[in-house]
Amino acid sequence: MGQRNKTLVTYDPGEFRRKFNLVIWLMLLAFAFLTGKMWYLQIVKGGELLQRSKDNRIRLQEIRPLRGLILDARGRILVDNQASFDISIIPETAKDVKGVIDRLSSIYDDENIDLARNFTASRKRKPFVPIKLAKNIGRDRLALIETNSLNLPGVMVDVVPVRKYIFGETMAHILGYVGEISIAELAKDVVGDYNAGDVIGKLGIEKTVDRYLKGERGGEQIEVNVSGRKLNVLGRVDAVPGYNIQLTIDADLQKICWDAFQERAGTVITMNPRDGSILSLVNKPSYDPNLFNRGISDDDWRSLLNNPLSPMQNKAISGQYPPGSTYKPFIAAAALEEGVVDPEHKVVCNRVYPVGTRTFRCWSKRGHGSTALHRAITESCDVYFYDIGTKIGVDTLADYARKFGFGIRSGIDLPGERSGLVPTREWKLQRFKETWQTGETVSLTIGQGFVLVTPLQLLRAYCALANGGILYQPQLIKAVKTESDEIVKEFPPVEISRIPVSREHIDILKYALWGAVNEDHGTGRALRRPERDVCGKTGTAQVIKMAQDDEKIKKEDVPYKHRDHALFVCFAPYRDPEIAVVVIVEHGGHGGSAAAPIARKIIDGYFDLKNRGAAVTLPTGQGGPTRREN
Amino acid sequence: MKIDRRLLINFDWVLLVLVLAICGIGLLNLYSTGHSASHLSSKPFFVKQMYWIMIGLCCMIVAASIDYRLIVQYGYVVYFISLILLFFVFIQGHVTHGSQRWLVLWGFTFQPSELMKLTVIIALTKFITENKTDKEYHIRSLLIPFIIVCIPCLFIIDQPDLGTALFLVILFFSIILFIGVSRKALLLFVSSGVVVTPLFWFALEDYQKERIFTFLNPERDPLGSGYHIIQSIIAIGSGGAWGKGFLKGTQSQLKFLPEQQTDFVFSVFAEEWGFLGAITVIFLFLALLLWGVKIARNSRDLAGTIISYGVMMFIFWGFFINIGMVLGTLPVVGIPLPFLSYGGSAMVVLMTGVGLMMNVSMRRFMLQPY
Repeated sequence: MGQRNKTLVTYDPGEFRRKFNLVIWLMLLAFAFLTGKMWYLQIVKGGELLQRSKDNRIRLQEIRPLRGLILDARGRILVDNQASFDISIIPETAKDVKGVIDRLSSIYDDENIDLARNFTASRKRKPFVPIKLAKNIGRDRLALIETNSLNLPGVMVDVVPVRKYIFGETMAHILGYVGEISIAELAKDVVGDYNAGDVIGKLGIEKTVDRYLKGERGGEQIEVNVSGRKLNVLGRVDAVPGYNIQLTIDADLQKICWDAFQERAGTVITMNPRDGSILSLVNKPSYDPNLFNRGISDDDWRSLLNNPLSPMQNKAISGQYPPGSTYKPFIAAAALEEGVVDPEHKVVCNRVYPVGTRTFRCWSKRGHGSTALHRAITESCDVYFYDIGTKIGVDTLADYARKFGFGIRSGIDLPGERSGLVPTREWKLQRFKETWQTGETVSLTIGQGFVLVTPLQLLRAYCALANGGILYQPQLIKAVKTESDEIVKEFPPVEISRIPVSREHIDILKYALWGAVNEDHGTGRALRRPERDVCGKTGTAQVIKMAQDDEKIKKEDVPYKHRDHALFVCFAPYRDPEIAVVVIVEHGGHGGSAAAPIARKIIDGYFDLKNRGAAVTLPTGQGGPTRREN
Repeated sequence: MKIDRRLLINFDWVLLVLVLAICGIGLLNLYSTGHSASHLSSKPFFVKQMYWIMIGLCCMIVAASIDYRLIVQYGYVVYFISLILLFFVFIQGHVTHGSQRWLVLWGFTFQPSELMKLTVIIALTKFITENKTDKEYHIRSLLIPFIIVCIPCLFIIDQPDLGTALFLVILFFSIILFIGVSRKALLLFVSSGVVVTPLFWFALEDYQKERIFTFLNPERDPLGSGYHIIQSIIAIGSGGAWGKGFLKGTQSQLKFLPEQQTDFVFSVFAEEWGFLGAITVIFLFLALLLWGVKIARNSRDLAGTIISYGVMMFIFWGFFINIGMVLGTLPVVGIPLPFLSYGGSAMVVLMTGVGLMMNVSMRRFMLQPY
């Protein structure tokens, strides 16, 4: 110990003096470096980094507006908003994302939904932005997730309003459905009304008046913590809910039409001839727009697309059919107005009508004998129209057809309307590079051959006869209203044109249509009500050209897709009509037997409703959100 | 032990005041980090840190009271005790197959690797004082100090805690270079370092490699390992010149900043107190370290010089690496900021180290030649 103490005592710190100076200088250098970096970050880049710290904690959150409701003519709710629940995950909060998703999957327990596959985090994603895992989960699953929330960090439940189509498939083709905006739709939106992720009308009224329904989005500037939890609201602009849309549709009548049509393919439209408003519009088969609420499943979509009866097609406006005998009144109108015939002019129908080398026939096996205009319509004599039609000529017939609104779109507020086809000589030359044949005019006079009409066009043309010659634009929307039922915009009837047919001639035709229903040999006898107030016309449209002598072939032996379409158009009451109906049963056979009974039920139902008044109607908002009463 | 009056007269108040000032700022800052937390069940960090400071102060007094020559004499014993503790951690980690850096002793969690930092200094001091040469050290004579550092390093790398292992190596070189080594030995160390580094790379865990990549480019993975650095830089920079104000740092209060109580405690301070506050802390540390240099220089014997120089370097490297880390200039290696980061083991060990400095400082007049 003593030995060692001696070495300690002889210690001279001076030998380290130079080294200590070096240490001090190195330390000062290190401190200068740290101070410099601090200066750079806090003073030079301070402003920029302050902004980044704000970006971290201040988030703009969109407030989605509630979509407007859709009401029927009497103010009953057809489309409502309902709460739906989505689950999403914030990976930063979950930390162990895979574990949380595994646990969630075991709770969720739905083999159709692979939550792990739904988890797609893109690199561009901002931190703490939730990733959607499943949409529209049921309330039972919601309860399970809520009770297990402690084991599921980062899992969030969002409440999302979804559309509730109260009448389901019965109104699908009117209302359409909504969906998330597509990239193509976003590209079309030059004004910037829409953001990615917005809900937009995809079809039907939802699409055509989306601008009224969608409302205006609001926004909230919120302060969040690292978990994305909202701490403070720094600023807020409320969303403005969309306007409600009141339709001209009567939900009761719509139901009557739906039920009357039963399980066949085709379409029914009813219209008020006095103003062109559509009272009901049914296509069969149909689809349930509620399926599209939160994205339709692949299976459902495939079965809709693969159905040969095209449930997605709005046949009322985009189906193009040969009008058959329902076209005859317009041939007659042209003949009267052009002075080709007078009402007393008679044509002898002995069933056959030769044109060149071909022979056309009347549908009646015995022929109609000597026939004037009235009986030609009531009994639907083909030969009469062959005769007068060829006298008028195809181009004049086409002029009149257009004046009745054929061959052009009616302009209804629904997407996908087609224009039909009114053939002319020029059209045929252009289309087929062939000249028009007289035989083709003959076919045209009974609504066969090239001519194609949409059910809506046909109905509107009959309405023009019913109301004395006014061609209205078909209307579906009655008014745009605020939440509190104040009218924002009304849609008065739009008169497109007046038919260039004199009142006298229209009355002759109307009377003939009355006769077709109410006279003994009329083809539309199915509509003969005790009141004798219905006017109508049957039609049987051939789908393929068949030899006209093959009556021996029974209907059942013809393949479905080759069977005739059955048509019936009518309006009532005879004096001052207020309802017009078109019924087309695809491949239904004869108009008088297949379509007319449906029209009968509708006409009966309509007047029944009217007589009972508003007393017995569907309760308001039936099937809508349940309201608990105290 | 009889108390010499001169010890009290020569008590180093400056050292104590500087350390307490830094600890005080640390407490204030820890209060802020816990301000928005809702840990009602556990005691706030600043309260627990206050207890640790108290315990540390006791250790400091003990360390200052016992003559450092005696402590240096038992340097290897102290070293072996902490090595055994480290060995327990090693065993425990391999039994439970978990990575653990601490032992639980009488209900306290204790990190032997922190203690090791100080005992390595003491052991090296003992070696140097007993093997004093007038010339530089040669390779062969450096074998023992090398082993003294290498054994704990291997244990610590196994934990795995690369940062602390590197820290020990840095301490070793700081002391060896200060003492003076032959050019040949220096060349050997440098060249072996060049050879070993690539080998070392393969021994790294994936997350450690990730950290190094991230250090080179923090935006590479802004949500993963780069997140810490980015949030820290945002926190510090957004403090600006004057800071956002006490308890008003959004980065820290809203928890965007990770590891607020430990590794990134300085970012919290810099955000709330700005450049002004950061500079104040930096100057306090500078003053403390320069005071340490003064103590080492004024020591009357080699042991006093080396031991207080070692403790000073301990504080310096902890400070430099941590601040460099939070400023984004050094990789995130998990070295706490002395006196400011929350952590019982580190605080007690540091206080003990300061006690040793104080020890040397108080006894500078006692070793008059006979």
